[in-house]
Amino acid sequence: MASKTKAEILAGHEANTALNARSLAPAPRHAKDLGADGMFSPLDERIIAAASEALEAGQTHYVDVPGIAPLRSEIADSLNRETGARYEPGNIIITAGLQESRFLSIQKIGEDFENIGVPAVIHPGVWKALGVRAREVVSLPVDAERGYLPAVQAIADAVAGGCRLLYLESPSRLTGAAYTSEEVAAIAQGLSNAGAAAIWDGGCGPWVEGGCGSLAATEESPEHITTIGEAVPGMGLASWFIGYIAAPEDQIPAMQSQKQIMAICTSTAAQFAALEATKLFEEARGLRLGQLAQFKSDLTKTAASQNIAVIAGDALNIIALRASEAASARLREAGYEFADGASFGAPGVIRLNVNAVASAALQALS
Amino acid sequence: MSKKKAQGTNLLYQLIGEARGYDDVIIMGRGDPDFDTPAHIVAAAKNAMINHHADSTPPEGLLALREAIAARVKRVNNIDVDPVTEVVVTNGGQEALFLMALAVLAPGDELIVPEPNYNTYADSLAFAGGVKVEVQTYAEDDFRADPADVRAAISDKTRALLLVSPNNPAASVISPADMREMLDIAIANDLMILADDIYDLFVYDEFEHVSPASMPGGKERALTLNALSKAYSMTGWRLGWIVGPADLMARVRELKAAISGGTSVISQHAGIAALTGPQDAVEMMAEAYRWRRRLVLDALDAMGIKYGLPQGGQFVFADIGFTGMDSGEVAQRILSEQHVLAYPGSAFSKDRKDYLRMTFLQPEDQLIEGLERMKVAMANIVAEG
Repeated sequence: MASKTKAEILAGHEANTALNARSLAPAPRHAKDLGADGMFSPLDERIIAAASEALEAGQTHYVDVPGIAPLRSEIADSLNRETGARYEPGNIIITAGLQESRFLSIQKIGEDFENIGVPAVIHPGVWKALGVRAREVVSLPVDAERGYLPAVQAIADAVAGGCRLLYLESPSRLTGAAYTSEEVAAIAQGLSNAGAAAIWDGGCGPWVEGGCGSLAATEESPEHITTIGEAVPGMGLASWFIGYIAAPEDQIPAMQSQKQIMAICTSTAAQFAALEATKLFEEARGLRLGQLAQFKSDLTKTAASQNIAVIAGDALNIIALRASEAASARLREAGYEFADGASFGAPGVIRLNVNAVASAALQALS
Repeated sequence: MSKKKAQGTNLLYQLIGEARGYDDVIIMGRGDPDFDTPAHIVAAAKNAMINHHADSTPPEGLLALREAIAARVKRVNNIDVDPVTEVVVTNGGQEALFLMALAVLAPGDELIVPEPNYNTYADSLAFAGGVKVEVQTYAEDDFRADPADVRAAISDKTRALLLVSPNNPAASVISPADMREMLDIAIANDLMILADDIYDLFVYDEFEHVSPASMPGGKERALTLNALSKAYSMTGWRLGWIVGPADLMARVRELKAAISGGTSVISQHAGIAALTGPQDAVEMMAEAYRWRRRLVLDALDAMGIKYGLPQGGQFVFADIGFTGMDSGEVAQRILSEQHVLAYPGSAFSKDRKDYLRMTFLQPEDQLIEGLERMKVAMANIVAEG
């Protein structure tokens, strides 16, 4: 006999449009897969050695819920160095990847607010995280000419309308567009004046040449800003699922308790690998940025030769293009995968991971 | 918050924090086996770092691991599942529990839970907006959950039963007959079952573990969780799973994608090695736990402390009500005076202030030393009247 209870449960899930409407970009499945979020890079043998040594030394047990102390310290130092923020190790929680960072921060910080302002174009993982437990969302209009970021005025309008918690990406996970220092300062001032808070995904920031402004680094409102991202990106750890949350001290206990409830702690091996990666990151990033700059320049030229419009973006690890449905179909027929802007809320845009294969993908469009 | 006011999980954090300050502390509370992960599993992880570190993984996990899980639940639990549609890999048993609660319970739904139970069940339930309806169990019955009590607890808001066997912290095992009756109750009342099988390999004496999903009529209404943490001493790897009917598992998969996206591929490859490789380490550890359990029970007998007989699991739930003190205070005294950490029952349930949870997950010399020190502390407490 069919279960009515189960049918009701399934119907309830089906009705959850936030959870169901958009799909997450998967990790790459083959060489022509240009749709992944993460930077899939070679894994330095020193990272393998450090993680192996930790495992062989018996680091196979639970560790502290917010993460091993030296990694929290390194992440805090790295954020402070990169963005000018002023985090202490006690402000850091190590997570099982960026999506867990999104979920924890949105759900736990969100408990203190009536609603949350979210850009109309945003990574689909944000909608997923919101959909698990219903939150009232204030949609922030975006400016297509500005890489689909919400204009500073749109953010100010939302705050003026009573929205006291915002979720923002800079650089955008779709286009790589980032707010300028002046824009960041203006957003911070507006939030500070209203006593509003923000969750700031700055995970693509390391791939902006010359650095990228962070809300957490402003004078106005660091005590209200929570920063999230991938821990040590571009170091071959994307499939290890390791991320961070850097939050004001008073936000840490609630998120730490929730982390305990959800997973107890983050994989010990991943944390020791990430710890070693922090030591190698600066040098590796310099090399990586050079490569990415060359690849993106080549891609931009190829796109121009194919009459494909490139959406300006500051982050070098991704490139967004305006592509018709027919062009997208051709790309797929040629065996290439990409992130569909529709899943971010921007139909007609596609996003490619910037790498050596990407130029060939654009040739396939012709 | 003052020390004496801390309760539940906060009390545990406080005690754990204090314990870290003692160089000679013996931890007899936390559910973390003292054995390191077997060498062949570590070797597989190292191999994965070299050859598979950039493997893609869908939210539900690598197919090879899901196949290994499907074979394991068939072999151990007699549950038939399709690895493609009926298995989701999780960040340990804890995430599995969280996902199960979110998959089945909507705000206001009631979940019937035999009490005492692991503290984070309530936390996961609260996040989902569900309501915990407790069914009491008693030390004199070895903490048996009586199906009649479960039946009596059902209301028109009841959506599911939580069946944890062996139970944490009470270490009771649901007998096959009782499990059949629980399942019949679920079928008659159209309830779902959330089954926690994480200690299924640790069952003692004549007791027998049975999964509700293995029984006729069980699979289509049961979500069953398990993890490698306890059986393979892999707590730090964060690797677990849920198995269940394909329609519900599709929702579990979506929730997994929303909550954490995926699970470390290195841990997954280690998990494949654990499930498909030699199992002698598991049996060695199980044998050690059988012996240590006897050590703890003998020591408690010598101290005159009563307990429900641990039929399974890795702990004893001991009654310290004769002291006249709250278990939090007793745990605090034992820790401060003798540097031994046992978990207070009040961390598991407000109604279990007379109990301590003691694990037998320490090397035997430490276990014996810890029990000796505990004996001294308890004697001091009793002497003070």
